[in-house]
Amino acid sequence: MALLTLQGISKRYQQGELEVNALSDINLTVEEGEFAALVGPSGSGKTTLLNIIGGLDSPTQGTTRLNGTDITTLKEAQLSDFRLFQLGFVFQSYNLVPVLSALENVELVMVLQGKHKNECRQRAEHYLELVGLKDIMHRRPSALSGGQQQRVAVARALAAGPRLVLADEPTANLDSENATALLDIMHTLSHEEKTTFIFSTHDPRVMDRAERIITLQDGKIVSDERHHHEHKT
Amino acid sequence: MKKSAQASVLSRLPILIFVAWRNIWRNPIRSVLTISALASGLVMVILYASLLEGMTRQMVRFATEISTSHIQLHRQAFIDDQDLYATLPWSYMQKLEQEFPDITIAPRLYASGLASSTNTSTGVLIKAVDPKREIEVTKMLEHVRHGKLDLGIADITENGFARYNLVIGAQLAKNMNVEPGDELVLVTQAADGSIGNALYRVAAILKPLEPNFDRMGVLMSIEAYQQLMYLENGFHELAIKVNDLSQLENIQADIIEKLNKLTAVEPLDKLGGVPVVRNWRQLNPAVADLLELSKAFVFIIGFIIISLASLGMLNTMLMAVHERTHEFGILLAIGMKRRWLLLMVLFESFFLSLVSAAVGSVVGLIINNYFEEHGIDFSQSMPDGYDWAGMIFEPVMKGYLIPMDVVYACLMMMVVTMLASLIPSWQTIRLKPAEVMR
Repeated sequence: MALLTLQGISKRYQQGELEVNALSDINLTVEEGEFAALVGPSGSGKTTLLNIIGGLDSPTQGTTRLNGTDITTLKEAQLSDFRLFQLGFVFQSYNLVPVLSALENVELVMVLQGKHKNECRQRAEHYLELVGLKDIMHRRPSALSGGQQQRVAVARALAAGPRLVLADEPTANLDSENATALLDIMHTLSHEEKTTFIFSTHDPRVMDRAERIITLQDGKIVSDERHHHEHKT
Repeated sequence: MKKSAQASVLSRLPILIFVAWRNIWRNPIRSVLTISALASGLVMVILYASLLEGMTRQMVRFATEISTSHIQLHRQAFIDDQDLYATLPWSYMQKLEQEFPDITIAPRLYASGLASSTNTSTGVLIKAVDPKREIEVTKMLEHVRHGKLDLGIADITENGFARYNLVIGAQLAKNMNVEPGDELVLVTQAADGSIGNALYRVAAILKPLEPNFDRMGVLMSIEAYQQLMYLENGFHELAIKVNDLSQLENIQADIIEKLNKLTAVEPLDKLGGVPVVRNWRQLNPAVADLLELSKAFVFIIGFIIISLASLGMLNTMLMAVHERTHEFGILLAIGMKRRWLLLMVLFESFFLSLVSAAVGSVVGLIINNYFEEHGIDFSQSMPDGYDWAGMIFEPVMKGYLIPMDVVYACLMMMVVTMLASLIPSWQTIRLKPAEVMR
């Protein structure tokens, strides 16, 4: 069974007197362990689609099934639990809670999940080590570079043990070197942790590292291609 | 859905409290300003409560210690009409004294008359006391402004009559332009219907204590009164001081019971009416009402001050929430429930008000300590004190803080600020993460 199944997803919203079709009849299946990129120009519907997959927004039509659960039917509190236990998020910027250190930020989701304090600490340290930040894990976000902050966000997303990680243009504010490094880390961890990644981007350097590229244009999937990459370990 | 998902909010409280505490120090200057505003409000409430309590205690002290004492005994006709003949026999006083060894009593007699000095005449209220007993019951005679307290015989006239000393009120002395050592003639209608008149010497002038006495009071000994008024068979008023004020009502009831027995054995004439025993609250209902009102004053004024200070808190929290909408969106996206977010913001308000309460209480107690020790001194501008609501107060206004008032003020501040913070807190739970993160 596929991890994620989108059936007939459409999203329309009012912009003044105009009705805008953000997404039209999206049908998509993502298998467990995939490392997929949503690409397309600005306004093509990438973020809207990620928001719908993440339960942050609801579609006008269609159903979203993750691991067998139709999340479009879930109530607010159930959706919160769903996001807390099944999903990991990496956003474009300002991902972290500024008053918490890198370590505390990574622990936060696990603490909210109700995990034991020791387990939270061990897992947080482990994932910060995987993203290469264990030495500076007590720094607050303001003392970290943009690239380091995004790596903390990746560690936070993975430490909570999600089935699916959604990343909305995670490299948009990073320079070329940091963007490549972040993608390499995400790619490696995706394979090591057997975690499914879907990330949006319009950066060609990032697309090169994706195993599957789903191209959106005007709210529709116009192509869906699979590539094979050797991942670095 | 995993089992731990159903875990109660309680298990998440530590992290919510932890993040909330860190959040209030995110913008230290803003938090310190908010805490300063709230703490200042609390200090004002504490000092207001302290000064008002100090005033009311002074009011009670004046109402009891200066003249009224704790309980008074009269006959009904004296209460109604100041009936000169409505006296109680001296034997009643002796029997009450024997029956109640734990009380101290002082008899008084009253009359009205005309006082004349060299240049002027005016109506006066004559009050006769037994100085030795009076000093045991009230502090009226301790408040001499000029002269020496002496209600005895001043001298013997050429005709062989004793000339007694008087003590008069400060305003009366001023109006009549008399000083200690000056002579004063009193004219009145005596109990036998004759015109009673005599020459007296002013021995002392009392400080203003009661507005009425200050304006027209003349104090003399009971012997001098009896000689002037030909009224020897009893007294008009018995001032009673009890040792244990908490037993006031019980002692009052016991005295009433004793008087009922006494009147059965030793009946009083019908014209004077029944004996009436009243405590200081019944004698000074205005003061008793003011005491009750002062509590309400503290609450109302305190509520206004705290509410105004809470506007600062409301502003701080609104700004804090407004500038963190993206962050709240992130927290909601990663799975934080809306009610947890609400709790976190409420905890931030709670911590701000808690720190404000601690700072305000400490500063308030320090300043109050000064007010209790030294007070606010008005003696330069008002050496005789000040008159408020018909009461005369000492020129130094001193505070008296009841510890529970600080607790109540803190609780009120925390409740008001928490209510104010509901507005920004409510805004957080209505956020839509997809919108705020755009």
